[in-house]
Amino acid sequence: MVLPPNVSEADFNAALNEFRSAAGAPWVFTSDEDVALYRDSYSIYWGEPEERVASAAVAPAKVEEVQQVVRTANKYRIPLYPISTGRNLTYGGSAPTMRGSVVLDLKRMNRILEVDEKRAFALVEPGVSYFDLHHYIRDRNLKLMIDVPDPGWGSPVGNSLDHGAGYLTSHFRDHFGSHCGMEVVTPEGDLIRTGMGALPNSETWQEFRYGAGPYIDGIFTQSNFGVVTKMGFWLMPMPETYLTGTVTVPRYRDFEALIEEVSYFEDLSLIGMPGYGSPIGGGLLGAPSPALTALMQNGWPSIDALESFVTAQNKPAWSADLNFYGPEETVRANWQAAKRRFAKAIPGAAFQDGELLPLPIPKEQEATQGDKPRLGIPALEVFTITSRNPMTNSDPADGHADFFAYVPRKASAVWDAARVMYETYREMGVPPMHGPFSTPINYYSRCFIMATLVPTYRNAAKNARSRELFAKIMDRCAEHGWGCYRTSPAFQDRLMSKYSFNSNALLRFHQKIKDGIDPNGIISPGRYGIWPANMRGKRA
Amino acid sequence: MRRAVVLFLTLAGSLCSSLSAQTPSEKTGKVVFDKWCAPCHGALAPQHTMFVNGALPGTAALAVKYQGKVPAVLEQRTDLKPAYIRTVVRHGLYGMPITRKTEISDAELDGVISYLTENHKK
Repeated sequence: MVLPPNVSEADFNAALNEFRSAAGAPWVFTSDEDVALYRDSYSIYWGEPEERVASAAVAPAKVEEVQQVVRTANKYRIPLYPISTGRNLTYGGSAPTMRGSVVLDLKRMNRILEVDEKRAFALVEPGVSYFDLHHYIRDRNLKLMIDVPDPGWGSPVGNSLDHGAGYLTSHFRDHFGSHCGMEVVTPEGDLIRTGMGALPNSETWQEFRYGAGPYIDGIFTQSNFGVVTKMGFWLMPMPETYLTGTVTVPRYRDFEALIEEVSYFEDLSLIGMPGYGSPIGGGLLGAPSPALTALMQNGWPSIDALESFVTAQNKPAWSADLNFYGPEETVRANWQAAKRRFAKAIPGAAFQDGELLPLPIPKEQEATQGDKPRLGIPALEVFTITSRNPMTNSDPADGHADFFAYVPRKASAVWDAARVMYETYREMGVPPMHGPFSTPINYYSRCFIMATLVPTYRNAAKNARSRELFAKIMDRCAEHGWGCYRTSPAFQDRLMSKYSFNSNALLRFHQKIKDGIDPNGIISPGRYGIWPANMRGKRA
Repeated sequence: MRRAVVLFLTLAGSLCSSLSAQTPSEKTGKVVFDKWCAPCHGALAPQHTMFVNGALPGTAALAVKYQGKVPAVLEQRTDLKPAYIRTVVRHGLYGMPITRKTEISDAELDGVISYLTENHKK
């Protein structure tokens, strides 16, 4: 059995008994078999002493039970690690940041408390998944669309608190940005509601996020300052239609103008997340062609060489899928406007009309519907990228660690980041995932993400190599000013050490907040580098 | 798309004929399977997606692994053993993660096992 650090077995057992009184005996998990279910399936330290394993888990069903558990944790100095649905895979899953923590499993807090169709918001508990919320809305024929991340089994609450994102127009796909109002159990067991939730009898908790006074919701994201037990979200009114269209541009250098024009429509909120691609291939999801491989034999090609290569391929260099939501009249008009602007800005731009889909998608058609996340339909199809396939059949990975570098929204930054990642992989002797035709992801509308996936295994030797690669990518990107926005506990200290302006003033400020509101340091010690005072300085 | 429709009709037909004969545990199991397992291990996949066309991650992975020796769709298997299903659901396998008891209870897992092994009786 693993014990929390600096806690005696007697105190631990006393705390577990009080947890049983709070949540009910069946909902306190202490056997090795049950506690093992809280391991991070994608841990990059699987089976090693550094793996962040829990000592126990407690799963309350009500906010009062959460408060009681938190008070007990203070009494016995038991570290708690709250999870929502526990499906934050590649970012720690259901395992704690610090070995020996008790996981506070909020999956049983799974009530959808309110969905207001006309005012277009929802209020949910942490254990509600995107699947749950979608099914609730669909089964009641409410004319609303939710914004979902790629894996739909996550929690709107948990995903927002870890800065997750989706696919609709920019003000919905920033999941924290589209929340409105929180309820939080403080580290000492008090209960607060933010924004208008603090005003008794207010009916606008999910409509006006600021209330009065300092706006504090952000400090509960990627932190350890409380246990969020309710969150409100603004939802998209169900659009009448969804229309897609694809723009292609002929030259390598056209990427800059393509991005500028797409961004014009992005910043007017006329499109959902654009899908950048390259008909040449060789990006994250496509193996480079033999011709491209040959071009790369002597290193990263010059722009002129790439321009000649594109000409020889007789294919457009780049593409962008545009996604319009709204009445048929407006989506068709916006696509026409896009064609006009792209044609004027980029000589040789070509267009392919996509399908116009009436919405909502009927329930019986959802399973075979493509592009589900773009239509607000939760799915798990993203895992086809990393699941066993003909190329990995002899040695499939057990998981992956995602690294998302945030780079400026311009072509030169995409090319620089792709080159740096390519060179880092080569230096490590690993086949590169990036090339000159890699394209960015645009979850957050004002910047680009250059993504890479490092495989993880239930094998220590392989994981050691993956850790070395992951750390090197993080270091190289930080040297160029490309920050990663989210990572697993194994790399959170390293990540936060990169955000070091003015001698790590930001982290020091986080620590001051921690010391003030969680004097016993019981909530998620170490999460995103924020350690309680008595553990500070003893870690990397 | 046509292949998906045929698959759907085949599956729907076989499910309709077997529903009335299902035990309560099997019925619970189907509900749990549809919620927790089908998004990766279902029979129906979109022909065109943002990721890998025509594939669900679990079904596609098993197709590669077994190369047609057994069906890639779990609901069509006749060789699955209860202990194996329990181990894989609880502890995961390759990209499939661990499933906790707050997600699928032991009783619900028993239902999934009943549902996935009902083909043994046919």
